[in-house]
Amino acid sequence: MDLLDAGSPREVIEKVAKHLDCSPTSREVAEYFDKNDKLRHLRQEFLFPKVAQLPTSDLSLVGGSEDCIYFVGNSLGLQPKNVKKYIDEELKKWATIGAHGHVMGSRPWAWAENDLEDLMAKVVGAKPEEVALMNGLTVNLHLLLLAFYQPIATRHKILLEDKAFPSDHYAVESQIRLRGFDPSTSMLFVKPRPGEDTLRTEDIVSTIEREGHSIAVVMLSGVQYYTGQLFNMEVITKAGQNQGCYVGFDCAHAVGNADLRLHDWGVDFACWCTYKYVNSGAGGLAGAFIHEKHVDRVKPALLGWWGHNLKTRFQMTNEMDLQPGVNGYRLSNQPVLLVCPLQASLEIFNQTTMKDLRKKSILLTGYLEYLLKHYYSKKASDPHKPCVHIITPSNPAERGCQLSLSFSLPIRAVFKELEKRGVACDMREPNVLRVAPVPLYNSFSDVHRFITVLGSALAASNKD
Amino acid sequence: MDLLDAGSPREVIEKVAKHLDCSPTSREVAEYFDKNDKLRHLRQEFLFPKVAQLPTSDLSLVGGSEDCIYFVGNSLGLQPKNVKKYIDEELKKWATIGAHGHVMGSRPWAWAENDLEDLMAKVVGAKPEEVALMNGLTVNLHLLLLAFYQPIATRHKILLEDKAFPSDHYAVESQIRLRGFDPSTSMLFVKPRPGEDTLRTEDIVSTIEREGHSIAVVMLSGVQYYTGQLFNMEVITKAGQNQGCYVGFDCAHAVGNADLRLHDWGVDFACWCTYKYVNSGAGGLAGAFIHEKHVDRVKPALMCGTSVSTEMDLQPGVNGYRLSNQPVLLVCPLQASLEIFNQTTMKDLRKKSILLTGYLEHLLKHYYSKKASDPHKPCVHIITPSNPAERGCQLSLSFSLPIRAVFKELEKRGVAVKSALTNLLFSVFEDAALVL
Repeated sequence: MDLLDAGSPREVIEKVAKHLDCSPTSREVAEYFDKNDKLRHLRQEFLFPKVAQLPTSDLSLVGGSEDCIYFVGNSLGLQPKNVKKYIDEELKKWATIGAHGHVMGSRPWAWAENDLEDLMAKVVGAKPEEVALMNGLTVNLHLLLLAFYQPIATRHKILLEDKAFPSDHYAVESQIRLRGFDPSTSMLFVKPRPGEDTLRTEDIVSTIEREGHSIAVVMLSGVQYYTGQLFNMEVITKAGQNQGCYVGFDCAHAVGNADLRLHDWGVDFACWCTYKYVNSGAGGLAGAFIHEKHVDRVKPALLGWWGHNLKTRFQMTNEMDLQPGVNGYRLSNQPVLLVCPLQASLEIFNQTTMKDLRKKSILLTGYLEYLLKHYYSKKASDPHKPCVHIITPSNPAERGCQLSLSFSLPIRAVFKELEKRGVACDMREPNVLRVAPVPLYNSFSDVHRFITVLGSALAASNKD
Repeated sequence: MDLLDAGSPREVIEKVAKHLDCSPTSREVAEYFDKNDKLRHLRQEFLFPKVAQLPTSDLSLVGGSEDCIYFVGNSLGLQPKNVKKYIDEELKKWATIGAHGHVMGSRPWAWAENDLEDLMAKVVGAKPEEVALMNGLTVNLHLLLLAFYQPIATRHKILLEDKAFPSDHYAVESQIRLRGFDPSTSMLFVKPRPGEDTLRTEDIVSTIEREGHSIAVVMLSGVQYYTGQLFNMEVITKAGQNQGCYVGFDCAHAVGNADLRLHDWGVDFACWCTYKYVNSGAGGLAGAFIHEKHVDRVKPALMCGTSVSTEMDLQPGVNGYRLSNQPVLLVCPLQASLEIFNQTTMKDLRKKSILLTGYLEHLLKHYYSKKASDPHKPCVHIITPSNPAERGCQLSLSFSLPIRAVFKELEKRGVAVKSALTNLLFSVFEDAALVL
C-alpha cells in the first residue's frame, strides 16, 4: 500500500513515522516523503537562490552554501531554468532577422502568446479558446468588468470579500463609479463572523441568496491573499448564477496552486497574474478567461486591433471583424520577452498535472501545519512559550499551498530573524507571516528545515 | 561654412556635389554626408542584421556579408546592444535574490519603469511627472479616453483622421458605444481633399472650428502611419482647445521621430508604443502623457492598487492612471534604447533625419519621377508631403509597377522595408503603398 495515500496529512505522517519507527517530527519522515515524491525532479528545473546570495542572510547564523528556504513563491515564483535560453533565442532573432521575427521562428511575435494558451488552459481547467494571455491582471479585470458589469437600477451591486486585495477593491470601486453608481451602496462585502478569520462557504452562499436579486456580479478571489483561504468556486458560481448574477474570480493566488476547473464549474470569467505560482517573473504576462457559453453573448466593451480576426487584421479596413469570446478582448500584440519565461514555466507544469501538484501540495502544507502545531500550539501549561495561530483553514480543501501565520511575538521581529537564517517568506502588516511551500520546487526537507530555523528565529525574537 | 546648414535638403545636396565636383547622385555625396554626420557613431549601438541573415535575401543577387538596408524601423526598431546585458542582469537578480529584487539592485522591479520616465519625457518634450511607462498603447489610449472622453448630448464627437490606424479607429468606436452614443454620428473624420493623399492643416483647423462645439475630443495620430504625414500638433492643439475640446495624439509613429514638445504645445494627453523608433522590441512597454495642467482636473476612470499611494489617496496626474507593476524584462530594452537617445537630442536627430529623408527623396525623384518622354519607365509617386516640417523619417511610396513585385525584389536584395498591408503574409492588395 502506498503510505502517501493513507488519508489526511496527519494520518499519513503518523503512519510513515510508525513505518520508520521514528518520531513524526523526525527528519527521517521528511526524507521519506522526498524520496517518494514523484515530482521531486521538477525542483531541478528552477534556479534556487543560495542562502549566501540573499541580502538578508546572516552567515554567522546559517551556512551560506545551501539552497535558501524559498517559501515566497506565492509572491514571486522562482525562475525556470529555460528562461534565459528562450529569451536569448528571441534576442538573437531580433538581431538577425529584425521585423521578419513577427512571423518566423519558433515564437513568431505576432502570435507567440497564443501558442501558449493551450498549456495555460490546462492549468486553469479551461478550453484553449476560453483563455487569453495578455496585459496585466488589473487591466484584464477592468476589461472583463466593463463587459460583465452592466448595472441597472435594480441590479447594480458587486459582491466581493471583505479585505479583498486592494487592487481589486479599487478596481471595483472605479467600475461602479464609471457606471454612475455609488460604491457605498453598490459594493457589497461578505465578512467573516466575529472572532473568525475566514469566510464560511454557507455565509457566502446565504449572502448571495439574500441579496442576489440586486447583485450584478459576484467577484471574489479564488484564494484569498491574506488568509490563504481557497474558496469553493464551484458552489459560489452556482449560487450566484442561480440568482442571475455573473460570477467571476481573481485567480491571482489560485492559478498554479489550486486545481481549477473554470470551464466545468461554469465560471463566467476570471483573471490572473502569472508571476506567482506560475513563475513568469515580476510583472509577467497575465491571463483572462471567459466561458465559451458567452462566446456570442458578452461582447468586449473596449476594442483594439488585436481583437480583429487574424486573417484579415492587417488589411487595415477599419471594419471590425471581432473574434469570438475572449479573443475579441485582445487589444494589442503581446511582448515576446514575457512569453519566454511563461513558456519555460508552463512546460514544467506540462510535465505533471494540477491534480498531482495538488496532491503533493496537500501533504506538503499539511506537513508544515503538523509540525507548526506540534511545536507551537498554544499550551496552557506554558503560557510564555512562543506560539503560533494559523489563520488559514485547516481543511486542505479550503486552502492552497500557503499558510498565514501570526505569532505571540511581534511579527516584524520573527520575520527579520527568519530572513537572517536564509528563509524567504512574506510579512503582511499588521500581524501575519505568509509561508507558501510550493509543490513544483519545494521539498519536505525544506519544511523540516524551516521548522528548525523557526525555532531559532523565535528564540532570538523572544530575547528582545 | 557648414555645408550641411546650407538650406533645404536639395540645396545642401547640390552644394555638396558642387563642392566635391561630382554628380548629386554620386556615392561620394553620401560618403561626405556620413563623414560629417555627428551622429554616425550611434549606429554602433545597434545590432544590424546582415544581408545573409535575412530570410528573404537571394545571395545570387547580393553580397551576404554587408549590413542589410534596414528601413523598417518605423515598424520595429533595431535592437540596442545593451539589451541582452541588462536582461541578463535582471535574470541573474531573479535567480539569486528572488523576491528581494522588487526593492533592490539597479532596477528595483517595484519601480523600475519610473526610473526611465525622465529619459522618456525628454524624448517627447514633457516633464517626467507627466509621463507614465506602462501597458500597451491601446490599453493606454483606452485609459486616457475613459477619463478625457466624457460626452454629453451637446458635445459628444471624437474627431480623428480618415484611415486612422485600425486600433485607434476600433478603440474610439468602442469608447463611443460604451458611453451610449453612436459611432455613425459621434465619429467625425477629417479627410484629404479629392485627389490629394494627405491632410491640409487648414482643413483640419477649419473642421475643428466648424464642428468644435460638438467635439469632445480631437484624437489624431502625430505621424500618420500610412502616409507618413507629420501633423502640426501645436496648431491643432490650439484650435481644438479654442473650441473647448480636449486634444490628444496617438504618437506611435511620432515618438523618437518628430521633435515633440507635448508640454509646451499644451497637448492634453498622448500615448505611444516604443517598439518602433524607440527600439524596445516587439510589444515593448508603452507610454502615456497627461499635461500637468490636468493634475487635479481629469481623474482616471479606472483604478487599482498602484493608482493610490495610500488608502484613498490618488496619485496626481498620469500617476493615478497606473494599474499594475510593469515587467522589468520590458524595462531593460527600453532603458538600453533611451540611453542612446540620451547621447543626443531629438533636435539633432531631427536635423539629420530631415537631410537623410530629403536625400532619399532627392534620389527617388531624380531617377523615378514620371517623365512624359518615357511613359514606360518605372516611376514613383511619393505620397508623403515634400515639406520636411510635415513629415518624419518615413516616405510612403507607390510605384507604377505592382507593389508586391517591387517589394519582393527589394527583399531579395537585402532591403528590409514594410509593405503596408502585406507585412504579415495575409493581404492581397495590389496597389498598397510601399512604405519605405
